[in-house]
Amino acid sequence: MSSLQPNVDSTNSETMQRSNPKKRRKIGHSNSLSLVPWRSETQQRIYSSKLAEALRYVIHRNPPSLPAKSSAGREVRETADRVLAATAKGRTRWSRAILASPLNRWKLRRMHKKVHKASTGLPKKSPETRRRLPVVQKKARVLGRLVPGCRKLTFPNLLEEATDYISALEMQVRAMTALTELLTGGGSLASA
Amino acid sequence: MSSRRSRQQSGSNRISDDQIIELVSKLRQLVPEIRDRRSDKVSASKVLQETCNYIRNLHREVDDLSERLSQLLATIDADSAEAAIIRSLINQ
Repeated sequence: MSSLQPNVDSTNSETMQRSNPKKRRKIGHSNSLSLVPWRSETQQRIYSSKLAEALRYVIHRNPPSLPAKSSAGREVRETADRVLAATAKGRTRWSRAILASPLNRWKLRRMHKKVHKASTGLPKKSPETRRRLPVVQKKARVLGRLVPGCRKLTFPNLLEEATDYISALEMQVRAMTALTELLTGGGSLASA
Repeated sequence: MSSRRSRQQSGSNRISDDQIIELVSKLRQLVPEIRDRRSDKVSASKVLQETCNYIRNLHREVDDLSERLSQLLATIDADSAEAAIIRSLINQ
């Protein structure tokens, strides 16, 4: 049951020793990384079983009747994200970022949203400087905000992380859909 | 403008246009919106825009699925849930 926690600790200590935040990763190194094959069925099965175990741990920890129903969905989402990041084996930046932030990521997101709204009251830059930002750079910045832990990456690294992140998310959706159908079917069978 | 910068800098920070094109094409293959449209000339900003939209959609789907899962886990008791999961793992 507690198998999830030691995994998190080991990947954290590993990445702390290996990663040097000052050096930028050259793009030549990307070919040597053996990224996780998110499309394979084996990978999905691995993720599903880990997720099921993690969710069982979460249920047994909290009593079945949760006082705030809105937090239950968020807990499930966070558990799913953490298990996804753990399945990535810490080779990608977004997975390390998810595992490294035990704080509630949603609260941080709300704080960022408030800060953003406050800044619109300030005087904006002159139209000349605004036109210098190419559209692509703006879009790249938005993308960097969407992928966890990728705000200050160079453009090619950001694209690399984004491709892996998208494949991982697709697998997450497939696995959770299958799990949902399973539980829906299993519940009705048990009651009959 | 970014290509001008990369040409001036030498050494490890040089990002060749070919590498960027390759990565953008890889991204294009993943995002179904662009992949299914079958047009060879899609601008980079369009690719980035569709990628952001796609990631947001996936996030929303995961959120919805988490909500449904949490409700299901609350209503059915733990034993039948475990039985269903174990049964599926054995059948696979």
